Amino acid sequence: MSILTASGIRKSFRGNTVLHGVSLTIDAGEIIGLLGENGAGKSTFMNVLSGTLSPDAGVIQIDGSNVQFASASDGLAAGIRFIRQELSLMPSLSVAENILLGSLPKRRGFVDYTALRRRAAEILAEIGASHIDVDAEVGGLRLGEQQLVEIARAVSQRPRILIMDEPTSSLTAHEVEQFFGFVRRIAAAGTAVIFITHRLSEALSLCDRLVVLRNGTLVAERHPDEATRESLIVDMTGRASLFNYERRDDVRSQEAALEVIGASDGEGLSDISFQVQKGEVFGLFGLVGAGRTELLEMICGLRRCARGQIRVSGADAQKDRRGHLRAGVSIVPEGRKIQGIFPQHSVRWNLSAGTLRRTAKAGFISPSSEVEAMTKYRTELGIRMQDPEQLVGTLSGGNQQKVLIGRALVNDPQILLLDEPTHGVDVGAKADIYRIVRAEAAHGRTIVVASSEIDEIRAVCDRVGILSKGRLVAVLNHDGMEETAMLTHAFSHH
Amino acid sequence: MLLRLRSTFVTALGLREASVAAMILIVAAYLTYASAYFPEPRNLLNIGRQASVVGIVALGQALVIIARGIDLSVGSIIGLSAVAGAIVARETGVQGLSVPVALVAGLLCGLFNGWLYTRLRINPFIATLGTLSIARGIALLLTGGIPVTLSGFANFLGAGRIVNIPVSLILMVMLAVIFHILATRTVRGRDIFAIGDNPKAAVLAGIDLRGTRLFVFVLSGLLAGLGGIILAGNLASADPNLGMGYELDVIAAVILGGTSLSGGRGSIPGVMLGAILMALLNNAFVLLGISAYWQVVTKGLVILLAVGLDSIRRDASETD
Ligand SMILES: Nc1ncnc2c1ncn2[C@@H]1O[C@H](COP(=O)(O)OP(=O)(O)OP(=O)(O)O)[C@@H](O)[C@H]1O
Ligand SMILES: [Mg+2]
Repeated sequence: MSILTASGIRKSFRGNTVLHGVSLTIDAGEIIGLLGENGAGKSTFMNVLSGTLSPDAGVIQIDGSNVQFASASDGLAAGIRFIRQELSLMPSLSVAENILLGSLPKRRGFVDYTALRRRAAEILAEIGASHIDVDAEVGGLRLGEQQLVEIARAVSQRPRILIMDEPTSSLTAHEVEQFFGFVRRIAAAGTAVIFITHRLSEALSLCDRLVVLRNGTLVAERHPDEATRESLIVDMTGRASLFNYERRDDVRSQEAALEVIGASDGEGLSDISFQVQKGEVFGLFGLVGAGRTELLEMICGLRRCARGQIRVSGADAQKDRRGHLRAGVSIVPEGRKIQGIFPQHSVRWNLSAGTLRRTAKAGFISPSSEVEAMTKYRTELGIRMQDPEQLVGTLSGGNQQKVLIGRALVNDPQILLLDEPTHGVDVGAKADIYRIVRAEAAHGRTIVVASSEIDEIRAVCDRVGILSKGRLVAVLNHDGMEETAMLTHAFSHH
Repeated sequence: MLLRLRSTFVTALGLREASVAAMILIVAAYLTYASAYFPEPRNLLNIGRQASVVGIVALGQALVIIARGIDLSVGSIIGLSAVAGAIVARETGVQGLSVPVALVAGLLCGLFNGWLYTRLRINPFIATLGTLSIARGIALLLTGGIPVTLSGFANFLGAGRIVNIPVSLILMVMLAVIFHILATRTVRGRDIFAIGDNPKAAVLAGIDLRGTRLFVFVLSGLLAGLGGIILAGNLASADPNLGMGYELDVIAAVILGGTSLSGGRGSIPGVMLGAILMALLNNAFVLLGISAYWQVVTKGLVILLAVGLDSIRRDASETD
């Protein structure tokens, strides 16, 4: 029995058609995986279904009768809940308040905090996130936990259709597993689920049906049993592109580009020592909370190094001013929306923000170098956009990430720090990013990649350092990067 | 085609700037019809002179607001720096000292604001509210509440003319050009927009957050100092109450000109248009002989109108 039928949905932005007549039928209790490259139109399509955007043409029917949503609240009223790619939490409110905002339990006109906390804890337990403290301030949670809070909020009133745009991009493997259990339960209870992801294995294991969008057209509908990673990649991209790690002979020089010597930040990180050679790609792996992001922050100078030393190209970086990016170091932070982009400015502007200082003449911007940077990285990274003056905030999520990587590269750093560089990036672009990381390393750039994906570490890194609860417990070379070994080390301090 | 045309027009001027320009034209057209004196060169230049102080101070304010700050103290800095300049000139007997002393006084006030914000991490709204009171108080203490007479170069800046054009107007135009170049063509200008748009991202992109914040507050103070000495020079006297309430006109001009109060967006041409519109409205009330009280009400309405139109347009384009 179908709950929702969309047919012939068209949508364009200023003459640029993003959806070319897309049709989809959703049945109760079904889990649909929506796949497609960055910019394929997935989020736009879901915005239309949920009433956030109105389509230029096409019909949406709910329970067999036509509906026209004027806004997202109409969609909500019809039981459609959309969890966006970008989180929309109130950072200074507590977890419990965020989850039940809009329907706070009351007693005699006042908020009933006991009931609020109990209800919030129940919902969190339901989605398998009982480890989150309901009294914690949301702004202080790590990204993955925030994502779970967002999910908890969406399901606090059991929706008929639950749409999730890359809900798992920052979750740990364990959290994903718990969360999938929950998704299966609500589906069994009759909620239809649409699940957008770039992780094909997740889509294959969770979904009942896979739908692939390419350039705004529905190109394939597959049953997971008859699809494979490879066949889905071909559906999405029209080509079979996968990155293979090619073992390089030791092109690394013996020159140490980055030395971390007994560094502690006085909080989580303690006594961390390692060296990265010039031209090497060094991975940082660990469970959530292991301190990967914190370590990168310390290396780039934004976090205090209370004890120990950090040396960049032999020079002690200790004397650099605090709160300033260390010279010769660039970082692509985790969570691009909050930390990365300048949303009110164009793609060109965003890309060049890193390089301005280098190419400026007497403080004046050099327009030609801006254009140069633009054209080089637009093609090299395959950033999909209408034109360079487009606001970066209107690019699809994955393309925003490519802009950030471009910005860090254009800065020509000796050391490039990447924190979860392929979150929300499609398979094709992922392969592009891996290729670029390898190529940059081959040209003598030193790269540190923090990632929670073992496959990613294996694909790009020469060596990997494994963190467990703020300590560096092992450094493995490429041959030693086995899943069990890596996980065993990662759990060693737990 | 129409779309194309609209978008090139919008990029050339910006929609908000365009709507302020349209408002200026409407008010001017009406005044030409209603008052024979309005289109006279003498009157137009007078409007220009009135716009100049608001315009000059608004240049600094615009950068502060683009950087996601606000400077409420400019009115008091106007008063304090004018008084400081006049007193030093009187005590030393060197009238030429009034201008540099006023500029230094303004700069120091700006430095104080910047220090409160970047070192003590006091929210700029609160920090400059404090300075607003402190600076005014010092001006009153220095003079005992009695205006100090002023002559010399300050007079020339405030009331002088070159080929019939007010010196302060020429100064405003020159500064506007310089600030426009600063905002659009220099790294420092980019940094200002960047820290206003997303401060976290700015730090990660290697931008000196503190330095840039300090810079905009110092500039704002310096320009308020200049505004103060122009205003006092025009009156040939430095009143400790000079510039009282000016911050409102200045902030209004900045906002009218399309600067986003939440930072990251704004333009110098827009701010200049905003200052001109404010001066035009002042002039209109004088020419039409309407009560000054109505003037206060109308200023508020104009701001609401301009900002309201803008947010309606934004809403529309978001659901486009
Ligand atoms: N408000 C907007 N204005 C202009 N263009 C837009 C707007 N919103 C989306 N687009 C464009 O529509 C296209 C599809 O974007 P959409 O966000 O739907 O992609 P997506 O499939 O969700 O990609 P991703 O996997 O990267 O999230 C992109 O090229 C994007 O630039
Ligand atoms: Mg998307």
